[in-house]
Amino acid sequence: MSGAKSTTHDGNIDAAQRTASAVGPALSVIVPLYNEQESVGPLYAAIVQALAGLDRSFEMVFVDDGSKDDTVAVASGLARRDPRLRIVKFRRNYGQTAAMAAGIEHANGEVLITMDGDLQNDPADIPLLLEQIDAGFDVVVGWRHNRQDKLITRKIPSRIANWLIGKVTGVPIKDNGCSLKAFRAALIKRIPLYSEMHRFIPAMASIAGPRLAQIRVRHHARRFGESKYGLSRIYKVLLDLMVIKTIASFASRPLRWFALLSLPLFALAFFAFGQTVVDVLLMGEDAFSLPIAGSGVIFLGSGLILLCSGALAELIYARGDVRDREFLRLTQTILAGGRNPGADRTL
Amino acid sequence: MKPQAAPPSISVIVPIGARRATDIGTLYREYRAGIAATGATHEFIFVLDGPRPEARRQLETLLREGEEFTIINLTRNFGEAAALTAGFERAGGGTIVTLPAYPQIEPGDIRKLVAALSTADVAIGYRWPRYGNAVDRMRRAAFHGLVNFVTGARLRDLGCGVRAMRRQVLEEIDLYGDQHRFLPILAMRLGFRVSEVPARQSAQDRHGRIYRPREYMHHLLDLFSIFFLMRFTKKPLRFFGMLGAATFGVGAVLIAYLGFDRLLFSEPLADRPVLLLAALLLVLGMQVFALGLLGELIIFTHARGLKDYRVEEVIQYPDAVAATDSGSGALPEPPATSPEMRTSAPPAITA
Repeated sequence: MSGAKSTTHDGNIDAAQRTASAVGPALSVIVPLYNEQESVGPLYAAIVQALAGLDRSFEMVFVDDGSKDDTVAVASGLARRDPRLRIVKFRRNYGQTAAMAAGIEHANGEVLITMDGDLQNDPADIPLLLEQIDAGFDVVVGWRHNRQDKLITRKIPSRIANWLIGKVTGVPIKDNGCSLKAFRAALIKRIPLYSEMHRFIPAMASIAGPRLAQIRVRHHARRFGESKYGLSRIYKVLLDLMVIKTIASFASRPLRWFALLSLPLFALAFFAFGQTVVDVLLMGEDAFSLPIAGSGVIFLGSGLILLCSGALAELIYARGDVRDREFLRLTQTILAGGRNPGADRTL
Repeated sequence: MKPQAAPPSISVIVPIGARRATDIGTLYREYRAGIAATGATHEFIFVLDGPRPEARRQLETLLREGEEFTIINLTRNFGEAAALTAGFERAGGGTIVTLPAYPQIEPGDIRKLVAALSTADVAIGYRWPRYGNAVDRMRRAAFHGLVNFVTGARLRDLGCGVRAMRRQVLEEIDLYGDQHRFLPILAMRLGFRVSEVPARQSAQDRHGRIYRPREYMHHLLDLFSIFFLMRFTKKPLRFFGMLGAATFGVGAVLIAYLGFDRLLFSEPLADRPVLLLAALLLVLGMQVFALGLLGELIIFTHARGLKDYRVEEVIQYPDAVAATDSGSGALPEPPATSPEMRTSAPPAITA
């Protein structure tokens, strides 16, 4: 029934997948599922209902993250009746980031929507996200206002984390934990997702300098099952954050980063040597202090090694296959290209 | 030499290294009888790991006697993992069986391993009842206890070279160095089902083996590398960061203590040798941390090639009765013989 057939030519989007299908639907809804047998049915119905009113073709990609219950059986039953539903089944549990990454890889749509499988996000909000994409934004992030979760264990840690992530990455996102997001496929398919980066997808995407919108979305209390993600991840979040910061700001010039790191060492070495020289000149040979001079040598040597590491980092980056240059190209042409950003995404 | 008929259903790979039976002819006949008991078509592939003139002569004698198998001769000693990989490249069977070059289990029990593949992707032999003295038992218990603790696996005989697996397993696992020992653990990590199958220990395997300290060292290092690969491949900074932060922390505390003394008690820094230690720790912490960042950079720049997850299958029914008309908008999927599209499903075992 959809007249608006999307005609985006996906060029050389990750060749791994389905080289045959150059024409995909306008929209892919990606849902990672882990032990959600009760939620799958209502979720499917809600998505179909929310999108039925829209005049665009869509598909759904359900990623089963190694569920132990009947999630796959229930979802297969749905797929049997609906060709728009694709189920990607993992061999075992790999975590939410991997599920998101697999969903993104197996989706053919021009715009990708990600959401949680536990019915806490409302598919009825998808049209709101699409409005923003149509308005020209590349990434639209949902923001769960009036969040229906426990205050102490979920909301407060997440508020601290959001503040921290915003400060460090410079992308002030109010709610990184909200899975309901929309992306242009060409952009998100190029962002490397690994480890537990799903929290930082917008921050990662910001490497490409996309135009980012945030909108309020609804949030419901859990209806079925248990929450699968708790706190106790602070240390991991901190380190991941550091990685993203480093990569986002210095990936293309690692030597500079390492030089910055070695600067205080050189300063310390300078002071230690200066002290030694002054002491010896003023008070004679006896005033020579091994601890101070030795520390100077250590600082100097370490600074030099750090610089060498920086050179090594340059080498690695130069030989690697992910550069920020290629991200830049993705958003670069949009302003010049006029109304339809999809049309001039030629690489 | 080999008739180019349909590929056999079982490929047997026997890597021949430094430790091997004196009479390979007898070993081959025993193994052949054991494999024949499965009733499936099979092929044998011997991989000579480096120049092994003695073994090669024996195998060539067998060939002249009319036996049929493939011999691969590696130019130098590459190790068992490389030998297995080389053998696998020539293997045509849907089921791969690896056998050691010396008898470990009663060949009659090979059948049990192949049969176990109906419910598992990898079946590894587990010599039971096991012979050996108390020292052997303790050594084994300690090694496996450590491995199981570190990897979260539950295995009892990693040293057993008798393994049966689906072809797909070896296609996906990238073995190198001495990792053949940890094949079941690597397979588990990729999401394959691994089962241990008890098999009677061969009479010739019952004498204990003397391990030199160097071998213990190698085992420990292998274990460490497996541990690192399993836990931190995608997040090197977690490992190096922890180590670096701890070292840096100790150094910082020492410096703080020295500074405190200097300011409050006028204890000159010049007389404090601890300053050297503090500086060293501080600097070491930074270096280790920088290594972690370097690791992260490597992962980031190669992230596209490293895939975290393994997809078992993709389920979609392109012909399903749709709510919408799918006319020209239908996905041009590869022509499906059945309406149900399933990709990368595990190959059915043909034994």
